[in-house]
Amino acid sequence: MLRCSFCGRRAVYNRRYAGVMLCDMCMIQSVERRFRRAIAKHKLISPGERVAVAVSGGKDSIVCLHLLAGYRSQRSRELAAITVDEGIRGYRDQSVPIARKNTKPLGVEHFVVSFKDAFGATLDQMVRIAKRRKTGLNPCTYCGVMRRSLLNQAARELGADKLATAHNLDDEDQAIMLNYVRADFSRLHRLGPIYPPREGFVPRIKPLREVPEKETALYALLRGLNVHFAVCPYSGGIHTEIRDFLNNLEANHPNSKFMILRMFDRLKPRITQIVPEFEMRRCEVCGEPTSTNVCKTCELLQSLGLKREQKTIISS
Amino acid sequence: MTLNVRILGRRGTRNVRLSKSAKVMDLLEALDLSPQIVVTRRNGKIIVEEERLASGDLVEIVPIVTGG
Repeated sequence: MLRCSFCGRRAVYNRRYAGVMLCDMCMIQSVERRFRRAIAKHKLISPGERVAVAVSGGKDSIVCLHLLAGYRSQRSRELAAITVDEGIRGYRDQSVPIARKNTKPLGVEHFVVSFKDAFGATLDQMVRIAKRRKTGLNPCTYCGVMRRSLLNQAARELGADKLATAHNLDDEDQAIMLNYVRADFSRLHRLGPIYPPREGFVPRIKPLREVPEKETALYALLRGLNVHFAVCPYSGGIHTEIRDFLNNLEANHPNSKFMILRMFDRLKPRITQIVPEFEMRRCEVCGEPTSTNVCKTCELLQSLGLKREQKTIISS
Repeated sequence: MTLNVRILGRRGTRNVRLSKSAKVMDLLEALDLSPQIVVTRRNGKIIVEEERLASGDLVEIVPIVTGG
């Protein structure tokens, strides 16, 4: 039996990048410490702030929800959960009830907003329309842009000071690498532990940014949390290729994922210097904040022959 | 030795034959799975990839990568 490097109990995880074995208790404590340290180090949450957390029902968002709920009870901060139901049959319809089952016992207010209500079509329907119209865009493009827009709108309507998302180390590295590959400076400079406030945008925070994906999964399993482990039917493409590349790199060269993050954090101030400042405007179609005349969500909806159906998405 | 292996999200279990002193990492290699994307349980308990397996073990593999 392999033993924990700290307390000698039965090991459940070999943290190769640090050269240590961890037992269940030390693993749980380590993840909780990193979560709290990220909040303190990057000043992610200030006293008295109302935080909205995006909860899909997957392992990362459920872990983030439970950690924020624990943090709230220690520091008396308000917390609300937002679930975006994109309308992915056989996938999201299973995870939304899981999100609800987690928020209720924690006493966290839970709001579900859907693509169907907001945009008049589910993601499944949008994918079919896109195929028929030969837009050449993949489902992740529609989903990513529109989900971010709905989360921001919902958080703003709830009066949240911060919007927490459950991006882990692997997610952040994948985004860094994807934007390197695409030479997309404007998206690259938006990455980081906190996206600063801009008119109409609720600042986004990532308290799990320094926790590897495997460790959020272990935390969820060790704490016996009810999480949705299914794979999105639309996953694939360049995101998956980059994820596999990073996993191979980490397997052969432990600590690579952290080094990519550290290097990016050191480079970020320089990247910010070369990205031109833009004036925040209101979308001519829906009124949401944007840097152009029409926001990306409305642009995508127009390409599908759709439009935003509702001005307000959180019903009181 | 023969192991009884179940992969979460897939139907049923399968028998996998490995050498006598095989470890979890050997099983994952035989199944073409990276340790980065799975958690392994033996008889219900999470174990590290360097742990040795024994004939008759019920091994459950939990794929952890779920995103879109």
